[in-house]
Amino acid sequence: MNRLRFWCLTPAGALLGGLFLIPLGIIFAYSLLTRGPYGGVFSPLTWENYSRLADPLYAAILWRSLLYAVIVTAICLMLGFPLALFIARAGRRRNLYLSLVMVPFWSSFLVRTYAWMFLLRDTGLINSALLAAGVIREPLTLLYTPFAVILGLVYGYLPFMVLPVFATLERLDKSLIEASADLGATPGATLLHVIVPLSKPGILAGSILVFISSLGAYLTPDLLGGGKTIMIGNLVQNQFTTARDWPFGAALSLILMLVVMGLLVPLQRRGSEGLL
Amino acid sequence: MNRRVFLLSLPGLAGCSRSAGRRLNVLNWPEYVAPETIPNFEREFGVKVRYGVFESAEEMLARVMSGNSGWDVVFPTNYFVQPMVELGLLAPLDHSRLPHMGVLDRRFQSPPWDKELRYAIPYMWGATGILYQSTLAPAPGAWADLWAPGFRGRITMLDDPAEVIGACLKKLGYGLNSEDPSQLARAEAEAARQKPMLRAYVNEIVRDQLVAGELLAAQAWRSTAMRAMETAGDKLRFVYPREGYPLYADNIAILRESKRSQLAHDFIGYLTRPEVAARIALTKLESTCNASARALLPAEMRNNEALYPPRGTLARGEWFRPLSAKAQRLRDRIWTEIKSA
Repeated sequence: MNRLRFWCLTPAGALLGGLFLIPLGIIFAYSLLTRGPYGGVFSPLTWENYSRLADPLYAAILWRSLLYAVIVTAICLMLGFPLALFIARAGRRRNLYLSLVMVPFWSSFLVRTYAWMFLLRDTGLINSALLAAGVIREPLTLLYTPFAVILGLVYGYLPFMVLPVFATLERLDKSLIEASADLGATPGATLLHVIVPLSKPGILAGSILVFISSLGAYLTPDLLGGGKTIMIGNLVQNQFTTARDWPFGAALSLILMLVVMGLLVPLQRRGSEGLL
Repeated sequence: MNRRVFLLSLPGLAGCSRSAGRRLNVLNWPEYVAPETIPNFEREFGVKVRYGVFESAEEMLARVMSGNSGWDVVFPTNYFVQPMVELGLLAPLDHSRLPHMGVLDRRFQSPPWDKELRYAIPYMWGATGILYQSTLAPAPGAWADLWAPGFRGRITMLDDPAEVIGACLKKLGYGLNSEDPSQLARAEAEAARQKPMLRAYVNEIVRDQLVAGELLAAQAWRSTAMRAMETAGDKLRFVYPREGYPLYADNIAILRESKRSQLAHDFIGYLTRPEVAARIALTKLESTCNASARALLPAEMRNNEALYPPRGTLARGEWFRPLSAKAQRLRDRIWTEIKSA
């Protein structure tokens, strides 16, 4: 039994150790070094890359990124929960609907984001249709707005909400719902007081996935936001490209990880206690 | 790849392993040669070329910085030549092994980044200017015109700190490569004033939006502009702004780590042959640094003023130069401030 456990753990352990912990260690080491004039890292060791983060400019960017991530998570929850509930109760069609949720993953996120650009631009599908229908006279400015960024993020990460919520709803004990109805609860009351509390682990898992993914996004703000707002992901990316400041980029990404952990670990702990 | 294509390519793979010692590794911008350039070289010299691409000069440098990247020939932009020499990454060229190199354009015979062409041979040059709808009256002719209230929401700037800060510096009459904090502060103020008027900060994607008429004008690279004008014809025009504008040149160089020095020289010699260089310039709509190659181009291309501006226009251009670490850091902070304003 012990040997079996050892062999079951080894591949994943090696993957995690080799491809996650070691690179993380390298990032930490980089974050303590001094930038080279043209990129790269050099001695001496310094804390300076961390002390630079006290700059309110960077705090403001982090704050904005957190705000976007919260908004995206909230919208995904509002859209994803009813959808997951619908799929869980769809009976024989359930697998069909589930695969429809996953179909977008068949093509790359970059390509799908470009598709949104073609939908949203002034001469795009949405504006052309509205103009043709006579609803508007001038094209609406949709592309390169905060609206487009949030739309793109919600679109991209909605499945991350639907799938975990669906997984908990599917396992939900139906007799509890029947009991609720038998005891005189309206369907609305059953939803609010029985179904939602019981699906909390799924909601939590989905929210965490969506939140983390949108917090680190850099492609969507660039392509759909037209580079007019900068999120923390873009700031990190710039350090490794145009700014050629790898140590600062490394420090930024580590701090981002710490912030995420600081926010989520207590949440997750509360969530798992709620389970018991 | 369907099965037939795969089977057909098998002999090619076999050939690959046979000539393993005769392989040249070339790291270049995407699609920066004519379609037949590499196959013809492979046939003539009996070698295989591994053609890798990078999306930014910084990426190229990061990839070869280790000194054992496995690449032989790279294409550094002019402001990276000196840094790469300082980092010991480039091998000195042996000009006796570059026999058929055509005559370089006068501006590139002794360029400021490598006066004796010891490390890099100028390949193509580019610039940044304004691409605009030809119906605009008056037509924009200066960076300052991109601050005109009438353009609100219908113009874009490049998503590139050196370009945006550079255009603001030029508008103010300062040098493109300024490291002076007070000049940079004034440039930042200009950029901040312009930002509410901008539709976006975008690079190549701007081409479609200008062609479709969604935008009136944009700060654009000449290479993007040429492709846009190829599609849109007379609808679009490109201008080199009055206050001055950035110039850059891509160069061919051999990495010091390369163990295929002769083959790498052969490759540079091949790319600088006038007829080869002319084909590349023709198919890619770029400006060759090779005067003999330019002479071989069809007249309408040879005399195209966007590709080969007259001397007076050229004199307004300024080369991008490497910046000190301190200035880079200041500029990155400014860029972050502009972006988050």
